[in-house]
Amino acid sequence: MIPGKYRSVSGRAANNVNCGLHLVIQTSSLPEKSKVEFKLNKETPSFSGRLLQHDLERNYSSRQGDGRVISPSPRNKSSCISSTTNVTELCGLEMKTAMSSLSAFGDSSMQTPSKSRIRQGCHSAGPNVSGDHITLASSSMPSFPILQRSSEEKILYSDRLTLERQKLTVCPIIDGEEHLRLLNFQHNFITRIQNISNLQRLIFLDLYDNQIEEISGLSTLRSLRVLLLGKNRIKKISNLENLKSLDVLDLHGNQITKIENVSHLCDLRVLNLARNLLSHVDNLNGLDSLTELNLRHNQITFVRDVDNLPCLQRLFLSFNNISTFESVCCLADSSSLSDITFDGNPIAQESWYKHTVLQNMTQLRQLDMKRVTEEERRMASVVAKKEEEKKRESHKQSLLKEKKRLTINNVARQWDLQQHRISSIAPNQDGKVSDCPQDPSQLRGSTVSAFPEETGSLDSGLTSALQGLSVTDTHLVEVDGDTLSLYGSGALESLDRNWSVQTAGMVTTVSFTFIEFDEIVQVLPKLKIKFPNSLHLKFKETNLVMLQQFNALAQLRRVDQLTVDPQGNPVVNFTLWKYYVLFRLSHFSMQKINGTEVTQNDMIMAERLFGILAHVASSELPQYRLISILGDARKKQFRYLLETKGKKPGLVNEENSDSKRLVGENTNRATLNYTTRDFYNARLEEIKEKKKFCKMYMEDLVKEATEINMKNEALQKLWPQMFIELVRDAVIEIRNKSSYMKLCLQQITDQK
Amino acid sequence: MLSPERLALPDYEYLAQRHVLTYMEDAVCQLLENKEDISQYGIARFFTEYFNSVCQGTHILFREFSFIQATPHNRASFLRAFWKCFRTVGKNGDLLTMREYHCLLQLLCPDFPLELTQKAARIVLMDDAMDCLMSFSDFLFAFQIQFYYSEFLESVAAIYQDLLAGKNPNTVIVPTSSSGQHRQRPPLGEASMLEGVEASLFSQCLENLCDRHKYSCPPPALVKEVLSNVQRLTFYGFLVALSKHHGINQALGALPDKGDLMHDPAMDEELERLLAQVPGLVNSAPANPEASCLPSRTPPRVGSPWRPLHHARKVDAESDGSTEETDESET
Repeated sequence: MIPGKYRSVSGRAANNVNCGLHLVIQTSSLPEKSKVEFKLNKETPSFSGRLLQHDLERNYSSRQGDGRVISPSPRNKSSCISSTTNVTELCGLEMKTAMSSLSAFGDSSMQTPSKSRIRQGCHSAGPNVSGDHITLASSSMPSFPILQRSSEEKILYSDRLTLERQKLTVCPIIDGEEHLRLLNFQHNFITRIQNISNLQRLIFLDLYDNQIEEISGLSTLRSLRVLLLGKNRIKKISNLENLKSLDVLDLHGNQITKIENVSHLCDLRVLNLARNLLSHVDNLNGLDSLTELNLRHNQITFVRDVDNLPCLQRLFLSFNNISTFESVCCLADSSSLSDITFDGNPIAQESWYKHTVLQNMTQLRQLDMKRVTEEERRMASVVAKKEEEKKRESHKQSLLKEKKRLTINNVARQWDLQQHRISSIAPNQDGKVSDCPQDPSQLRGSTVSAFPEETGSLDSGLTSALQGLSVTDTHLVEVDGDTLSLYGSGALESLDRNWSVQTAGMVTTVSFTFIEFDEIVQVLPKLKIKFPNSLHLKFKETNLVMLQQFNALAQLRRVDQLTVDPQGNPVVNFTLWKYYVLFRLSHFSMQKINGTEVTQNDMIMAERLFGILAHVASSELPQYRLISILGDARKKQFRYLLETKGKKPGLVNEENSDSKRLVGENTNRATLNYTTRDFYNARLEEIKEKKKFCKMYMEDLVKEATEINMKNEALQKLWPQMFIELVRDAVIEIRNKSSYMKLCLQQITDQK
Repeated sequence: MLSPERLALPDYEYLAQRHVLTYMEDAVCQLLENKEDISQYGIARFFTEYFNSVCQGTHILFREFSFIQATPHNRASFLRAFWKCFRTVGKNGDLLTMREYHCLLQLLCPDFPLELTQKAARIVLMDDAMDCLMSFSDFLFAFQIQFYYSEFLESVAAIYQDLLAGKNPNTVIVPTSSSGQHRQRPPLGEASMLEGVEASLFSQCLENLCDRHKYSCPPPALVKEVLSNVQRLTFYGFLVALSKHHGINQALGALPDKGDLMHDPAMDEELERLLAQVPGLVNSAPANPEASCLPSRTPPRVGSPWRPLHHARKVDAESDGSTEETDESET
């Protein structure tokens, strides 16, 4: 390309620009701190807006936008112009710097040429083109080319140097250009920043689109304001310690995984980290001037520390991986934030997205590039209110759930305690005092101390909140759909309650947990009446230890399914338990036991194993025993009926039909029934009493009988002799016939 | 009615010794318990039935443990009932744990103590791992010995312990009172290093015990036989030998021989009949017309007295008074 044309192009470009680099750097007399204050010149208000607009325009026209925030890519004329605009705008800031010790710029206020023409990088500028002005010659140092400009060139662009698209692989040594303010290495192949440490007045360094892998060689450039490192291979933010005046830092299109080593950049206004590999945002402390933060196209899942950025106005989080508002909730605490984007995140797909954001960030003016209207705000608050209500409800729910969990835990603890006590007492009852490690009194003491806290109060508020669920600390009753769950023995009392017909009819599954089976047995008749449709019984931690306990279930109306959890029910460990259940409850023709379908083979097996028992029980049991055993079962039922129904008429009929069912269904297995331990012990006591009486009675009887027998035997022994004696006496008496006759006559006359 | 010993004892003691009193008391007790029902069908009928059931050994079904263990006859009846009811479990080949056997026992006797089952299991398992599985026959024969001779075995255990300790328990059953006012026996000395006790000495002690023992004990001749085969033996070794001894089982008379343990044709027939009903079980349930009264027993009860099982029963002289009881019920 001909330099003239080139120049005209760049001239035009420069003319289109309102103002060039306009840096005003003043040393103030304020010695205390190095404070850089950016003031925009007359174009001030548009600066950010326009910068942003460029960004956004490109963003929205193509998704490539992130790479172009500040770095111009002059592919054609227009873009060349716009990029110029970009740069000049950037540099058109009137930077008023107040520095206590500004070594690079000296102590005098320096006025950079306000309308200097910027030498534009030209896309076709080859080495030969630039050859007119720039000589890249090999120096004594073989690896680095040495750059020298013609003096004319130097005068013309004394403060800027552009080396765009020069296919540079290293930074050339730039000699005699210490006054350079702007240095441009765009679109080269530079892998390492070097040889520029002498350019201590450098304000603008553009290394866009190179192959730099590490930030380095910048430590002397203390006046650097704009550092453009977009589209490189940087993995780590580092070595920026001395760049205290940095105003714009562009690191887009690199491989940075985390934000670090930036907390000292208190003057930084713009930070571009788009298209990196960030997984989260934090470490933002100290960036007190940051107004714009671009984080598009990362993999960010959560954002922290944003509330520590007092000046942040624009935050771009588009195309990340944010899925909950909680992960970015710190944004709500930022008072300065007015513009934010979330598009392209999972969160933006959610129905609650917009109103949640608006509700939590009332300071917002723009969301995803759209102005936030009053209407939207109002909607958001309405929705949020609803949301809040829902949340409160769910909170209540979860509170309730938690309460339930706690209660169950409590019941479980109590149960364990109780079990422990039983097991430690049981050996004593058996007469085996062998090795009982627990001191009984100590044990009792611990239970006593544990009880008061357990017998807590009923939380009436919560109970009323959810119908059908009552929570107390020692037991829990819950109706969930068709399942009635009872935890803790106290829960059995709930069967006395007046259940609504609907609820009672709906319940088909009854589950018992942490309740002694013997206690359950006592309420089975109640269960039968209150929940006539219950088909599925579940037992867990109920201390089912014996096969005969299953006998008790036979009195129910119907059982389709039985689930006995091995936890706390040792009986399940027996190989025979299932068959015994099938055998004993065969009149229910059960369908499932512990979730397994009952097959015909199971039924036959059950019968094969226990059929004889039933047969023996029914056919060999003496009649009088049959009466007494069946009588017991019937009596038990009568007793309950009498208790509950009182003096209702028609009672007799019901009893009859009930007992009819009982006997009819069981036929030969009715004799196999279960009496709870307490009841059985009571019966044994009763029997003992009776036995005592019988013993005494029999003793008397037998004694009497043996006495009689003895007398009888004695008589038998004496009788032959007696008889002989009697006969002998008689014979002697009548031997003298005449005298005997006389005597007889005498007696007769005496009688007269 | 005229057994010779009858004249040797006062009547009352005689009746008590033959456990007639036990049954009479129990009969009255049963009568008392179900007065109303029984009076409906006749007290004479009740007594007939009661003593019949005692003869057949069915009187112990579902009774309380104190009654079941009250007489040797009851014990034998219980053993037989257990065998009869759960023979099928053994036949099925299931190996069960001690607790499971205990559950089966409890099906017949709700308050059967765990201790006895444990002891029986200990005989099978030789005092180790109590959670092991046992075969039905092993358990049954061990249980027979333990249950039927439990008092005897307790005394034996005491003697054994004394012998182990080097004391001579010959004169007394209660081990604590074994002071030295009796015939001297050589202390065990070096022999005690070995496991168990010397068989001959043990045998002598047991002979004495059998003479004195008021509870039933195995026929002394058979005990001697068991002990004569070995030099030394342990307590559990002795129990195992007892439980496996064919003659003792016969003498006890409750169970068939080991070979015939699974054999019970009458019951098998019955079982087949029951199995045939299984498919129709669903339908047959509500079919019972007059269910309010007691279920009619299916077959007219065959009085299957189990006495003819072994003729050797008279070996155990004081086993039970079944003859007398039969007479009682007939008068």
